[in-house]
Amino acid sequence: MRSVIPAGVKARFRLPARLVGMFGAALMIASIFLSWSYGHDVLDDVGYYGAPSPLQLFFGLLALITLGLLAIPLVGKERLGQWAHVLAWNTTAKTAAIWSLAMAAVMVAAIAIGLGGLVNVDPGGWLAMIGGVITLVATLFLPDSPEPTLYLVKSPQWLQILAIVALMAVVLFGAAYVLGFDDAGGFLTFITFIVGVAMILQKFGVFGWVGIAAANNNRVLVLSAFAVAFAFPFTQDGSDANMSIASQVLIFAGTALGLNIVVGLVGLLDLGYIAFLGAGAFTAAILSGSAFSTVDWTPPFWLTVLISGTVASVLGLVIGAPTLRVSGDYLAIVTLAFGEIFRITMNNLDGNDGPNLTNGSNGIPGIPDLVIGGFDFGEAHVILGVDIGRFANYYWLMLVVVAIIIAVFMNLNYSRIGRGWVAIREDELAAEAMGVNTFALKLLAFAGGAFLAGIVGSVKAHYDVSVTPDQYVFLESAFLLAAVVLGGMGTVTGVLIGATILKLLPEKLRFFSEYRLLLFGLLMVIMMRFRPEGIIADKRRKLEFHDDDELAEEVEQDLKTHHRHLNPEPKGWDL
Amino acid sequence: MDYFLQQVINGLSLGSLYALIAVGYTVVYGIVQLINFAHGEIFMIGAFGSYATWMIMGQPTDWSPAMSVLVMLPAMLIGGIVASVTVALLTERFAYRPLRNAPRLAPLITAIGVSVFLQEFVRLFYGAIPGFPDAKRAIPYPAVQGISGVNVPLGGVTIQMSSVFTLAALGVCTVLLWYFVNRSKTGRAMVATSQDPDTARLMGINVDKVIMVAFAVGAALAAVAGVAHGLRYGNIDFRMGFLAGLKAFTAAVLGGIGNISGAVVGGLVLGVTEALATSFIPGQFGSSAWKDVWAFVLLILVLVFRPQGLLGAKVVDRA
Repeated sequence: MRSVIPAGVKARFRLPARLVGMFGAALMIASIFLSWSYGHDVLDDVGYYGAPSPLQLFFGLLALITLGLLAIPLVGKERLGQWAHVLAWNTTAKTAAIWSLAMAAVMVAAIAIGLGGLVNVDPGGWLAMIGGVITLVATLFLPDSPEPTLYLVKSPQWLQILAIVALMAVVLFGAAYVLGFDDAGGFLTFITFIVGVAMILQKFGVFGWVGIAAANNNRVLVLSAFAVAFAFPFTQDGSDANMSIASQVLIFAGTALGLNIVVGLVGLLDLGYIAFLGAGAFTAAILSGSAFSTVDWTPPFWLTVLISGTVASVLGLVIGAPTLRVSGDYLAIVTLAFGEIFRITMNNLDGNDGPNLTNGSNGIPGIPDLVIGGFDFGEAHVILGVDIGRFANYYWLMLVVVAIIIAVFMNLNYSRIGRGWVAIREDELAAEAMGVNTFALKLLAFAGGAFLAGIVGSVKAHYDVSVTPDQYVFLESAFLLAAVVLGGMGTVTGVLIGATILKLLPEKLRFFSEYRLLLFGLLMVIMMRFRPEGIIADKRRKLEFHDDDELAEEVEQDLKTHHRHLNPEPKGWDL
Repeated sequence: MDYFLQQVINGLSLGSLYALIAVGYTVVYGIVQLINFAHGEIFMIGAFGSYATWMIMGQPTDWSPAMSVLVMLPAMLIGGIVASVTVALLTERFAYRPLRNAPRLAPLITAIGVSVFLQEFVRLFYGAIPGFPDAKRAIPYPAVQGISGVNVPLGGVTIQMSSVFTLAALGVCTVLLWYFVNRSKTGRAMVATSQDPDTARLMGINVDKVIMVAFAVGAALAAVAGVAHGLRYGNIDFRMGFLAGLKAFTAAVLGGIGNISGAVVGGLVLGVTEALATSFIPGQFGSSAWKDVWAFVLLILVLVFRPQGLLGAKVVDRA
């Protein structure tokens, strides 16, 4: 971000600016001991003097971080030594001020909307806003920090592992806490807090270091991530509402990860991907032994899973074989048309317009819960004193499925096949010239992606209890694509984040459900315009979207410094 | 035989609707190689724009047939054209133009976003205009005296006046478009740009302007189709652009994408195929519930056996 204040002014006023900023931050901290709202029915009650509520405490924490970022550099450049330039103190202080103010603003807005007017905001709320504005203005006068180079600092492995584990623990409790909010105001406030902290860590250089640590301890990262995901139901104390959301997120994420192979790795735009999920779900429903299923054969579930995946991938072959030859844009429309064909066909196979296979628009209801090896997924169990209900059971099953999909994805990504895919994505002609069998690889991606969606579909059928054609409309395909694009094409973490955002936000923010699709459309356009590589950017992908040499050099530099442990002090900068 | 003829005529009138929309896909694709996924929504906006014009005129329902056809209908057409051209130019300027040199995937995803956005925008805010009906459900389209509900018996077959209007509209638009492309300076600039944008630029052609003209021409024809759709089916709906757009794209591919006469031929062939499939395929699969499926099957067959389309434009091979 370019700043409007000249560097000379910044250098001269940096000390007063720092002191004024600290004063503002202190005001914000003081504000949490005052009442923020006249009424008590909003933000879990922020209307007491001398007794901060949890949300106020989180705000205080953000303000305290701001204060610390401003105060610590006071000890001087010399005494901080390398930490003075390894961490981006000033820039981060500005970020912290922005997010503190944002959080205060969200809370004040929530009070005003929740209780009807700004009249209901008590002195505490106003003090927080004033403190935030003072801090923000003051930090604008601080000199810019050099780019943080914390990732170059050598650190012992135990520290890296500890950091990863701690991060995962924070993710677990943060997720549990987020889901605990019933009111939109509190939810949004806490989300602002989380995003603020994340932005601060990012600017400060911590994420850069964590990234290196994670790359060095990949196995620890993956294992702890799954441990956290596995432990999640225990934090919910038997609450079905949140586990149902969590399972839906996993189903959605699993499907999006499958699509990620097709779109993110190979660059084939599939707009009918939901049809493969639907094919899997219908197959599983028909073979489920429901009273409404049209086939009398009920194979064991592992076989159903395989059949569902196979049916989906055969459809993938049927649709892919003709269209993958005429590469490019046609595929998008043909898959879109295929998605429609699938939905119409499922609607028509009702015994009236065609043979009866799916009961038409009524679909197949009454699908029994899964029983695998005597374990009934429909029944609640008590494990370690915590009620584990039906949704938690399916959550764990989906976790296994998602783990398998991620494993497939990662292994393919770094294999010969994966490299061929990426080559096709970047330049199909060049790939072909280099001896990549483009048609076969594209077909493999298409059918493989369909197989994975079919597997997820077979679980989804049992989870949803009923399968109807109108669950598999084009809009769902668009949402899947949005999850992939929003999170970051070709990345696992990005797609998981994208899927979580797209499923979680509408659940928690019911009040905007009417405008959900409008915002969704706008978001896609804005994303493509300003950050086409998504939230988590795949490096290669980033290069592809931003066609400039500077970035190319930066990435190259990045790759080089990866193996270098030098930390040179930048020239000509002020703290 | 009469039955067959009747079906062919039904197909032709349906096909002219597709053809009018398909031209928009083909013109834009020919110049910027972009599948303007939101083109179906431009068609929908045209229909809603014409309806808005009718509302502004004071919802005339009892005008004489002559007045209706000579004053009301042209006014509605112009209103629809203004609405869709404006929206099309706005999307071009703010959504597509910044992405002109981006990888192929980006504008396609943008187009999906635009499409969803426009649908929702109409759904949520059309009814917010004072006096306008809520667009969350289908809105009955105004009857134009002399066209709506009038049937003309012709030998053994009956032709609806709305079909005559659609066919006539296609005829007039095709002639005008042919004249514009082949005789006017701007039209020739369009052809030049589609053949080689870089050289065209070197020859002093303002490529940005040509692209805007392409979007505008497509949008204008789509608006005409929107009015025709309203007259034919008697109601309009914020979702109507999705399937129509998909069919029109099929028509454009069928004729050879990038080829204007191909789009017209493709639209007519698709319409007739649909009409004949629902009447002559025996058994359950011939019911009208399957007609969209047959249209898309046709698309896939064309891509297998003749990817360059019936009239064979240049072979498109861009990833």
